[in-house]
Amino acid sequence: MTGAGDIGVWVMLCYRLPREPSTPRITVWRKLKRLGVAQLADGLVALPADARTREQLEWIAQEIIDAGGDASIWLAQPSTSEQERTVAARMADARTEEYVAVTAEAHAAATAPARERRRTGERLRAELRRITRRDYFPPPQRDTAQAAVRALLDTDPAGHPADATEEVRP
Amino acid sequence: MRWATRRGVHIDRAACAWLIRRFLDPDAQFVFVTDPAHTPPDATGFDMRGIDLSHHTGDDGTADCTFETILRRHDLTDPVLWKIAEIVHEADLDDERYDAPEAPGLDVVLRGLSMVCTDDQRVLELTGPLFDGLYEFHRRATLLGREPA
Repeated sequence: MTGAGDIGVWVMLCYRLPREPSTPRITVWRKLKRLGVAQLADGLVALPADARTREQLEWIAQEIIDAGGDASIWLAQPSTSEQERTVAARMADARTEEYVAVTAEAHAAATAPARERRRTGERLRAELRRITRRDYFPPPQRDTAQAAVRALLDTDPAGHPADATEEVRP
Repeated sequence: MRWATRRGVHIDRAACAWLIRRFLDPDAQFVFVTDPAHTPPDATGFDMRGIDLSHHTGDDGTADCTFETILRRHDLTDPVLWKIAEIVHEADLDDERYDAPEAPGLDVVLRGLSMVCTDDQRVLELTGPLFDGLYEFHRRATLLGREPA
């Protein structure tokens, strides 16, 4: 969704949840984290607006209301492109950290035995998929992380087993 | 009977419309609204905020999508429908509550379809046979106890 000029439209969730019980607060916070929201203030989070992000925040708003809190959804445009860049950069930094962690784990597993390498590779591939889904401003570290995980799964010698017919070859 | 849901149908609403027409109301007519407040008085709403046939979160924080809510409200216990519910749940909520490897694929198919087809009635026409097929596949899989050919 794009608005006037080069500045995008954002969907914002403004909410307040009672301090107790703490379970709904924690559940909501985990869900927001999973979506990769930008936290603008206490009880105010934002995502670039599209059909999916809008719907996801709307369901969380409903959940907050069901848990006895207040929530409202707003569509908003940052008033300057500078402001938008600042928020986007902060979101990209958060994803960068996650990609760097995946890359480090992939490198650490590179010398592990084949089975462990494959297990780690598969786990990191799933983790990468989760990170990519909440990555709205992909940093270059994404490609590095993807390459590191791919290398982990590609170089698996189990993929090229010693063939019995080759072994008896004179 | 008339049923109302939000415009811009995605996986949960497409699956619910199929479920309603096939298992609850063969003559179902669907209307699409931009605002839940515009639901016609004679229509039953689904997958909109603030109504019963919608998402619900349990006390333990686990969420149901609308497809699951409709199954519960109408006592539909068919295990094949619950298998489809797992796929729809993961495609819609992606919270890893179920192991449904079909979900990311189905999600992309529906999102792509919504880009080339903005007429919601048409989306339902196109996705109906898709869910018929999904139902038949999992019906056979349930009977065989393995993936059908």
